[in-house]
Amino acid sequence: MNPIDPTVHQALDGELPPETLAPALRRDVERLQAVVALLATAPLVGSVEQRVMAAIERPAPSAARRLLRWAVRPHSVVLRMRPVWSLALAASLLLLAVLPSPKFGPQLGEEEGIAQFVGRFPGARSVNVVGSFNDWGPVSIPLEDRNHDGVWQAIVVLPAGTHEYMFVVDGERWVVDPLAGRFVEDGFGRENSVLIVRPLRR
Amino acid sequence: MDVSEGPSDAQVVARVLSGEHEAFGLLIRRYEPGLLRYATRMLGSRDAAADAVAEGLVRAYRHLASCRDPTRLRTWLYRIVANRCKSHLGRRPTGDVSLDEAPPVADPGDNEAALEHAEELALVERALMTLSPEKREAFLLKHVEGMSYEEMAAATGERIPTLKMRVHRAREALLEALKEYQ
Repeated sequence: MNPIDPTVHQALDGELPPETLAPALRRDVERLQAVVALLATAPLVGSVEQRVMAAIERPAPSAARRLLRWAVRPHSVVLRMRPVWSLALAASLLLLAVLPSPKFGPQLGEEEGIAQFVGRFPGARSVNVVGSFNDWGPVSIPLEDRNHDGVWQAIVVLPAGTHEYMFVVDGERWVVDPLAGRFVEDGFGRENSVLIVRPLRR
Repeated sequence: MDVSEGPSDAQVVARVLSGEHEAFGLLIRRYEPGLLRYATRMLGSRDAAADAVAEGLVRAYRHLASCRDPTRLRTWLYRIVANRCKSHLGRRPTGDVSLDEAPPVADPGDNEAALEHAEELALVERALMTLSPEKREAFLLKHVEGMSYEEMAAATGERIPTLKMRVHRAREALLEALKEYQ
C-alpha cells in the first residue's frame, strides 16, 4: 500500500484547499471525493419502521425467556486449531481406540484365579480362612458379614491349583466348610475342605 | 443532530420515555436512511443491513432511558447499529457473497447514465469490502456519514488518533484498490 501525500489527507480533512495541490495530488482528492459521493447515495433498502414498531409494541421477553431461547437455538461453534494439534488429537484418539482399555479390579497373574469363601456362622464374632495357600495360618484371610445376617464371605486371588482349607471361627474353633465339593483326610483323623482354583487366563 | 423541522431529539426521547412509544417512529424516520446506508456499506448486503438496523433500533428503544445525552442521540444510535454490524460480520461465513457484490443487472428501462452509475458503485463497494471492518467503519463514519472525529470516538469507543490513522489507511487502501480495478 502506497502512502498518500500528507497534503491529500489535509485537503480531504478540509484543512487545505484542494486547488493548492499539484495536479496529480488533486486527482487523488477528486477520486476519493467521487468515491464518497457514490457511497453516499441511498441504497435500495426498504424501511424497517413497521418491523421495529411491531417489535417494540410487544413486551420485551424476560431474561429467563431470552436465555431459554438462546439455549434451544442452534449455534455454530468454531474451533480453531493449528494443523499440528489437529493431527496430534487425531493420533491420540486413534491410540485410545486401538489400545486395550485398562481393566479395573485386581490384576491377575498367568497362574492365578479367584476363589470365593462363604460360610454361615450366626453369632460369630470373626471368621477367617486358613489353608495350604497360606501355610495354615501365619496370615489368615478374614471373612466379612456385611449384612449382619450370619453369612460370612470373602473373595480372594489365589494361586491356581488344589488347596486344602478350614474356617477358623472366633479365633479358636476350626470348622470344615460343609459347602465344599471335596474333602480330604488331614492325617489327624479329621477332614479338610478342598478347593480347586482354575487360572483365569489361559 | 437534530433536524431543523419538528421537535428536537431530546423532546422526542422525553415523549417516548413518558409512555408515548409511537413517537419513536419520528426518530426512526429521522435516522433510518443514514443508518441503513451505513449498515449496507459496512455489511455489503442489503438484507443483513436491514436486520442490523432493525435490531439496533429495537435495542435503542428498550434502552432509551440509558441514553445519557439525548442531544447526541444520532451518535448513540450509530454506536448501537455499528455493534450490530460487528455482530453480523462475526457470524457471517467466510466467502459470503452479497447481492450488492453481484454485477448490476441491465434493465431496458435503465438509461446509460444509470447503468454507468450502478457499475461504478459496484466497483467502489467491492473496493470498500477489501478494507478491514475497522478501516471501513472509520472511512464511512468520517466521509459518508460526515461525523467529526469527536463524534466518531463516541460512536466507536475508539481514541481519536486511532480513528485518524484508520481513516488515512482506508483512503490509501481504497485508492490502491481502485487503481487495480480500473
